[in-house]
Amino acid sequence: MYKYDHIDQTLVNQRVAQFKDQVERRLNGTLAEEEFRPLRLQNGLYHQRHAYMLRVAIPYGLLSAKQLRTLAVISGKYDRGYGHFTTRQNIQFNWIELEQTPKILAELAKVQMHAIQTSGNCIRNITSDAFAGVAADEYIDPRPVCELLRQWSTLHPEFAHLPRKFKFAINGAKEDRTVLQCHDVGIELKKNTNGELLANLYAGGGMGRTPILGSLIKQDLPWQLLPSYLTALLRVYNRFGRRDNLYKARIKILVKALGPEEFARQVESEWEHLHSQSKNSSDNFTPAEWERVAKHFTKPAYKQLPSFSNSELVQQWQADIDPNERIGFVRWLERNTRSHQLSGYASVILSLKPHGTAAPGDATTAQMNAIADLSDQFSFGELRVTHEQNLVLADVQQSELLNLWRAAKKQNLVLPNIGLLTDLIACPGGDFCSLANAKSLPIAAAIQERFDDLDYLHDLGDISLNISGCINSCGHHHVGNIGVLGVDKDGEEWYQITLGGEQGNNTAIGKVIGPAFYANEIPAVITSLINTYVEKRWADESFIQTYRRLGPTPFKEAAYFHQGRRNKDKTEAFEASDISDAAKPVTAELI
Amino acid sequence: MMNQQVISYPKDGPPTVIPNEWQVWDGQSDEGAPLNTSNLPHGRSKVLVPFDWWRIHNPAHHQNTDVRERANKGEIGVWFAADEDILKHSAIIEAGKTLWPVVGAHFPIFRDGRSFSTAALLRDRFSWEKQIRAIGDVLIDQLLQGARVGFDAFELRPDQNLDVALKQFDLFSVTTQNSWRAKRSLLEA
Repeated sequence: MYKYDHIDQTLVNQRVAQFKDQVERRLNGTLAEEEFRPLRLQNGLYHQRHAYMLRVAIPYGLLSAKQLRTLAVISGKYDRGYGHFTTRQNIQFNWIELEQTPKILAELAKVQMHAIQTSGNCIRNITSDAFAGVAADEYIDPRPVCELLRQWSTLHPEFAHLPRKFKFAINGAKEDRTVLQCHDVGIELKKNTNGELLANLYAGGGMGRTPILGSLIKQDLPWQLLPSYLTALLRVYNRFGRRDNLYKARIKILVKALGPEEFARQVESEWEHLHSQSKNSSDNFTPAEWERVAKHFTKPAYKQLPSFSNSELVQQWQADIDPNERIGFVRWLERNTRSHQLSGYASVILSLKPHGTAAPGDATTAQMNAIADLSDQFSFGELRVTHEQNLVLADVQQSELLNLWRAAKKQNLVLPNIGLLTDLIACPGGDFCSLANAKSLPIAAAIQERFDDLDYLHDLGDISLNISGCINSCGHHHVGNIGVLGVDKDGEEWYQITLGGEQGNNTAIGKVIGPAFYANEIPAVITSLINTYVEKRWADESFIQTYRRLGPTPFKEAAYFHQGRRNKDKTEAFEASDISDAAKPVTAELI
Repeated sequence: MMNQQVISYPKDGPPTVIPNEWQVWDGQSDEGAPLNTSNLPHGRSKVLVPFDWWRIHNPAHHQNTDVRERANKGEIGVWFAADEDILKHSAIIEAGKTLWPVVGAHFPIFRDGRSFSTAALLRDRFSWEKQIRAIGDVLIDQLLQGARVGFDAFELRPDQNLDVALKQFDLFSVTTQNSWRAKRSLLEA
């Protein structure tokens, strides 16, 4: 993985010093809270319900064992013994004191980490495929481009105060694992027949109040030209994105208002000036810069090994596996491992989704240390964070899978539920977040407890359930096959259900099925939806396939069948208003 | 309220605090009279007028001798509002290059970054070589960004501590993208 040179290290150290000074000015009263807020947000520090929350960047999801051990130390020393991995490949600490943040950032800087631009109205942490560089379906390893753009966007002066936050996702595989089209800019990498690396750019995607899929605005852009093209794109957004209404300030609203063709034309027009002027051509990436970065993304010291299917592996270990272990291990092989580019290797997903005993994406101090050890022992000391809030050991020898499974089992990291109903995505919700209208974590726990039977879960197969505590959509409910959205009405917590969302190559935004439910109704409603699927599915059909075939009606009928229709008027009146712009005051600290 | 001092940070020199010679006129007279040249304040000899006002009352077109004389003496510059689309008025700005010693770009609130792009466009697209001054809600923690996109003078909000402000410009010895002042460190490495 990428290693800082003196430039990167100097920049991060100086950023720590700058923030330390800003915190001191805040504490001595010369910097007002209102004016400090954007500064701390641009360094990942939010003021939450109970304390400050610090969001630390894990650029494009890549993490070393050493870095994870530092995160473990921080979780124990400055937090309450755990950290929360997010859908955008960051980690959040929920119980931070302002006075401590410069020290935490200094500790992070020692292991080449930071919290730069993990929040605020600027270019955020760039996300990518958690299986970059190892996925069997990869066209091109996106990590060098991710790193080049991470550097380009870091402390970019012109785009420090955009109308709103700005998120990049970059994918280089056949399957999109980045929710590319739900980003402000999605970059799809590929190679042409001459072997040249090109980019397709999608702009104006996003979730939140107005979920929209990004539109293709530029095709076949040579990778070297990304800085000048992105400068043009961001300049158009910086100048013309709306600033009168926070909820209409994302680039998706500008792209929608202008139309993707007109937006693309304006960007192109700006870009012609930037790119054609010889004095500005040095904005673009050079081969030397590629080399400086790409040399860190070479393949590790793989061995030449024979390849086995999962059933061959189980066969080989027939005598070693205890009968009590067998079913768990076989299911884990099936659900929690992925094929690798190289023969004899597999990628392993460690589940951070235990059934109801911890929040989705949470890892304790002890687990973080143990996972760091596992990565040293089994996967060249590196890890990845997935969009679904799990961790990946990318380079595991197939012959070590049983040993790894046994070691990880001791830390409660081998629940074979990846891609299943209980591998749900959830934001921290109203338990922590000041923005949330409703709690997410108790809903997640209730669903995980209700569907605790692994036999049944495996029978149900692939299904995604995503929970957001408010319309800001950090739990990515819009792209869950089943989405749960917390809404507030008259001080009560309600939950709206969407169906038909999907991520991947068929990304789709789910549709609301009707009036919202009380929290205690949600497990029963989910059960009704699942029962409908089980009843109506054709052989081997996944939940989303059945839904696509039948449409929402049978699911909707099942969901509302048991409702006594009490509060009927209230809930229906509420449906129209619950995602109105007035749901939260504009002064709220937006994520 | 006008700050009596500004930070000057030329491209080829260190940042220093100097007296503020330029008064920013908001385009309104104290009496609320309609816009015309007689409303130009005379408290200071040098005035930045709103670009919009200049465009409408362009002295070259309107034969307005008072403003033209003052402009010819180098006493008139313009300032751009944050929502001004300067690319729509290229001809006026090109003509202004020989007339205005200083242009300003306004920050209605410190967290509004539009004038960063205005300054970048003035330097890149118009090859504006003279001073670009940040005016309005200009705070200590915007200075570094402003200095990199093309500003070389800053009229800070009067409550800002200029000693602290002066320390902002050399916080970073490295950069990872080009700016008006320097190429990125990566190209020099």
